[in-house]
Amino acid sequence: MSDYAHPDVLVSTDWAAEHLDDTDHVRFVEANEDVLLYKTGHLPNAVNVDWVQDLQDDTVRDFIDAEQFADLCSRMGIEEDTKVVFYGDKNNWWACYAFWVFKLYGHADCAVMDGGRKKWEQEGRAMTTDTPDFAETDYPVPESADPSIRAFRKEVEEHMQRDGPMVDVRSPEEFKGEITHVPGLPEESSMRPGHIPGARNVPWARAANDEDGTFRPRAELAEIYEGEEGLDAGDDTIAYCRIGERSSHTWFVLTYLLGFDQVKNYDGSWTEWGNLVGAPIETGEAGS
Amino acid sequence: MKPIEDIAAPFQMMEPDMRLELLLEYTEKLPPLPERYAEMRDAGMAMVHECQSPVFLMPEVEQNGDTAGEKTVHVHADVPESAPTARAFTAILHEAFDGATPAQVRQAPDDLLDRLGLSGLLGMQRTQGLAAIYRRLRNEVARQSTAGESTAGQETARSSDGTAEA
Repeated sequence: MSDYAHPDVLVSTDWAAEHLDDTDHVRFVEANEDVLLYKTGHLPNAVNVDWVQDLQDDTVRDFIDAEQFADLCSRMGIEEDTKVVFYGDKNNWWACYAFWVFKLYGHADCAVMDGGRKKWEQEGRAMTTDTPDFAETDYPVPESADPSIRAFRKEVEEHMQRDGPMVDVRSPEEFKGEITHVPGLPEESSMRPGHIPGARNVPWARAANDEDGTFRPRAELAEIYEGEEGLDAGDDTIAYCRIGERSSHTWFVLTYLLGFDQVKNYDGSWTEWGNLVGAPIETGEAGS
Repeated sequence: MKPIEDIAAPFQMMEPDMRLELLLEYTEKLPPLPERYAEMRDAGMAMVHECQSPVFLMPEVEQNGDTAGEKTVHVHADVPESAPTARAFTAILHEAFDGATPAQVRQAPDDLLDRLGLSGLLGMQRTQGLAAIYRRLRNEVARQSTAGESTAGQETARSSDGTAEA
């Protein structure tokens, strides 16, 4: 993993195994799609962050605020200089989402365990159902969320108008605006199918090796995003999906593995854009 | 089969975190898939596409041999242990509806996930996947019982990876 642009944001399962007990400096955070998975077994000394219960506001469609973030970190015994290592199910999809939220609030030392749960389990490494209990810390409340990695609707509109590069990481069927998977079911999340005009389509999971959940080597990632799709590491780029979680995985890949200068995750994503009255929509294949 | 009210009662009495523990117990209660369905499952048939995980669900409506008009619902399902929430919910559906009549399935509440206190706990995206499992069960039972069939349900093609994503 050393040839990635920022290899320091990845740790191997070997590294993790050696640091499980280094709880004064390292906190392993499991983040899964499945709410019960942590309870069935997890890395020793790992805590659980649930994207619904812990990272999202109960009422407003938004993330937890700065105070709630500080409270979450304090409860997990995280301090400002703790190295927080995220891992989880589904090729680290939700781990990247949690990583993104931690970066949004400026936590300095964040990493992802390459391969996530899948690789750890494949290697037959230690798992436990014991929930660790760390002394509560007093994590300082961040001043504000970092706007440089999050795009809001207005910004996406302006980005589209000046033909800024965008990557839509949903499935080709969602991207093209074909009616989704089951005939006879109303589209529950968006009034209109399709994609934001000008967006390229790279399904998020292409960035991962399906066998063990690790990220693809840099050369292969470069071939996909820069070679096939013509994205440029020097351009401001926006990634989106349906609610902004799959795209946080792609945000991670572009930012840290390929070294793009400026990538934003549009977490409003298709569930916002596809419901806006009058918003421009393109269907079919990506334009050339 | 077990009445929905009896299944829901302990969920409704508990605090959210204990509700998850209760749900976790259900992951152990899904009976193994009868061998005769393994081939269908492995071929990717009868999957619930809206789920994040490969959920195989094969409801059957059996015409009881000696009593004209009497029918019994059987719920055959398989969900991997790596998807404990979908597995637990499917086990709840099995407990509630395996051995029920088609009418009991038809009359079951639409808001089952609310009654189990799971909607708020899981969030909308996850709830949609589970609701799709329930909807598929009810639609398939309705289809088979009105068509007067007693054979296995309609086979649907699986999407490329058998899953749909949030």
